Amino acid sequence: MHATVRSVIETASDAAGDVCILDTEASPEHLSRGTAQYAETMLIVVEPYYKSLETGRRMALLGKDLGLPHVALVANKIRDERELEAVRQFAGQHDLEIAGSVPFDESFPESERAQRAPLDFAPQSAGVDAIAKIGRQLVGNGRA
Amino acid sequence: MKLVVAGKGGSGKTSISGTLARVLARDGHRVLAIDADSNPNLALTLGIPADQMGEMPTLPRGLLRRTEQGSELSQTLEEICASHSLTGGDGVTLLVMAHPQHAGTG
Repeated sequence: MHATVRSVIETASDAAGDVCILDTEASPEHLSRGTAQYAETMLIVVEPYYKSLETGRRMALLGKDLGLPHVALVANKIRDERELEAVRQFAGQHDLEIAGSVPFDESFPESERAQRAPLDFAPQSAGVDAIAKIGRQLVGNGRA
Repeated sequence: MKLVVAGKGGSGKTSISGTLARVLARDGHRVLAIDADSNPNLALTLGIPADQMGEMPTLPRGLLRRTEQGSELSQTLEEICASHSLTGGDGVTLLVMAHPQHAGTG
């Protein structure tokens, strides 16, 4: 499975304008098997509490070990400035980039309960808006 | 751009992957989304209706052939997508990887 994922990413088009997005397993173990090897950007989604940040830090190390040119955290489910500051502090201590932050948004669990995509269920929500911003920033940075 | 989204279970990585895919496709990018999670539910955040998900064509194992360098796909990605992908909202192409623990369970 891991070798197949690796080959699919390797083979995916990197023509201008084409985007390939891999949603990975939750455990960091697959990263040591090189599933992400042929990607250029790794986003690590973290929540503002220690266990999540610590897992994120370990994943970032594995990503950097694989030689990925761009490894960054996304601070997710952020409720207030204090929580964002906690992520910033952790990232600063460990020399990690933050690609952006996404506010806690009740419409995400609601969309899941409604079995719909957040973009269809709550297209104007703050969460969708923040994710869109992060995506456009990534492709706008010439990493598309 | 080839982008990998990682994170602890429950962190929201699938919502973020799916929403990124949809937004970029809506902006005019050709987007291939790959679900390699052992509990695959990227389809939902791409807007693929739940009743279609039961028939999700996961990638067969044995798609790789050995080469001197290691391994490569035995079909082109286009061929694989033609027979094994679903199309989500805004034209996102979705491939779902088969996990060993799901082998034989359909």
